[in-house]
Amino acid sequence: MTTADGLSLATRGLRKSYGKRLALDGLDLSVPSGVVYGFLGPNGAGKTTTMRLLTGLLHPDAGTIELLGKPFRRGDRKRLFQVGALVESPSFYPYLDGRQNLRALASAGASVPAGRVEELVGLRDRARDKVAGYSLGMKQRLGIAGALLSDPKLLLLDEPANGLDPAGIVAMRETLRNLAASGKTVFVSSHLLAEVQVLADVVGIIAAGKLVREGTLDAMLNDQGVVRVRVAPAQLDAARALLEPMAAVERTGSLDGDPWLTVHLEPARAAEVNQRLASQGIFASGLESGTDLEMLFLELTGGENKGSSEGTFRAIDIAGQGQGQGAGQGRGAA
Amino acid sequence: MRIFISGLRKLIGRPASFVSVGLLVGLLALILIASATAGQSSGARGAAAARQLLTFPGSYDFVLSFLFGFGGLVAVTFAAAIAGSEWSWGTLKNAVARGESRARYMLALFAAIAVMVAVGLAISFALGIGVALVAANIAGISTAGVTDSDTLARLPAMVARGWFAVVEQAALGFAIATLARSQLAGIGAGIAFYFGEGFAQIFLPDIVKYMPFAVARASVDTGAAGGGGFGGGAAAAGALSPDTALVLVGVWLVGSLAVAVLFTERAEITG
Repeated sequence: MTTADGLSLATRGLRKSYGKRLALDGLDLSVPSGVVYGFLGPNGAGKTTTMRLLTGLLHPDAGTIELLGKPFRRGDRKRLFQVGALVESPSFYPYLDGRQNLRALASAGASVPAGRVEELVGLRDRARDKVAGYSLGMKQRLGIAGALLSDPKLLLLDEPANGLDPAGIVAMRETLRNLAASGKTVFVSSHLLAEVQVLADVVGIIAAGKLVREGTLDAMLNDQGVVRVRVAPAQLDAARALLEPMAAVERTGSLDGDPWLTVHLEPARAAEVNQRLASQGIFASGLESGTDLEMLFLELTGGENKGSSEGTFRAIDIAGQGQGQGAGQGRGAA
Repeated sequence: MRIFISGLRKLIGRPASFVSVGLLVGLLALILIASATAGQSSGARGAAAARQLLTFPGSYDFVLSFLFGFGGLVAVTFAAAIAGSEWSWGTLKNAVARGESRARYMLALFAAIAVMVAVGLAISFALGIGVALVAANIAGISTAGVTDSDTLARLPAMVARGWFAVVEQAALGFAIATLARSQLAGIGAGIAFYFGEGFAQIFLPDIVKYMPFAVARASVDTGAAGGGGFGGGAAAAGALSPDTALVLVGVWLVGSLAVAVLFTERAEITG
């Protein structure tokens, strides 16, 4: 079930405070049906608060939520029967085995046999072991299995890759892609940009409780595409003059001292850049193209910790000889 | 019903269930065996009292008195551990996020606790009587009274009253741990309340006789089973008639569950 405009999940003006601290400040999400939606944001930006609101664990101070085409308010808990969720770290009874925990979860209603979801997440062989002996990754897989028990139309997963090994991440990605291909909507909250980049169709970026960008990943990355070209220092100005009619060009440094030019245009036009330079006798000694979600993310969330209420690591000299340096300041060298 | 059965399954596998029954039976056995040892030597101090404990049908009363007295404290900690873990382990969160009714989940969980209390009391009673028989034999006391028809006739009513009283005390632990959202805080506060009520009885007997542990004890004090002497307002037992106390036990039970359910309904689940 979706709304008339094809949305599985929508929030309008969602606000939530914890005491004096504002966690969400008018969040407007639009999650289309049948896609993997990556919900990105720095620590403390409001991702988990959003997940808690979407699953009825918290109630908003203001704003509305629509789940699968219908309003979701206090008292509309039955709407969650069609929603599978993994919120924060998965919680289980440690003295029960994996299968027993799934059965306990299934008591609230399940349409997929426990054995089927165990197989799907690769836990079948360990289903009879007590959860107390599970690794973080196994608990995470069990949590995802629990979210799938009701064969949900909408799947809400909070940091699902936490604790998974590389093979587990690849398998989870394939599973989620398959679920989306079968018409289900998968909403994944994450701070792992690379993971979202390969998983999501649509991305929403949240910072300081507000949605700062939402759209298809392709469109976002095309806007953010760059081609970097390395030329001899003597030809730098000539190269710049040649490329400027194509797009904005900026000079960026390099660790070994040779200059690079960064041209802000779609990666697919890298050959065109090279051809244009070669036609004037300027031969690039290096050419790179790509799209960088990380760059976009840092730009939108204000780099360091402007989009977060929790702060983050800072690059500082522990010996106390250097000045604090923001994460964003360390970038820029090609 | 599914949540209730699931709750039972969870409690059956839970170490706290075995530990609670083990603690109850272990302490009871210790007292009975110690009484048997003391009762063997007729000249020893307290030998007569020890032999009285082991003489049937009086032993029935002692075992029940112990189970309804100390069992109440065990029930408080058991229920507090279960309610607290729902918040500290975050398992309530799973159920709510799957669309389960918070009130129904808590009530079904408590119903499972009430059944487990019944099973625990039944096991403890059976083992307690078994140990009392052995202890009586050790002390050389006749066990002919074990089949006393009067005692056996009133036993079901006594056990039912006792179970209800212990369940009320469990409800109190359940509510405290729910308010505290923590196993440890719930257990600690439950124990403090249990013994605090006993101390308060010294200064405020007219008020404390209406308090939850005092009414629980009074409700099983039908003159035969005794009110026990295992703390928690025992001195107040008898201040209220057993039937009045039984009604108040029901009020405290319903009140405790209402508090737990209302708090859970209103709570913001962030753990």
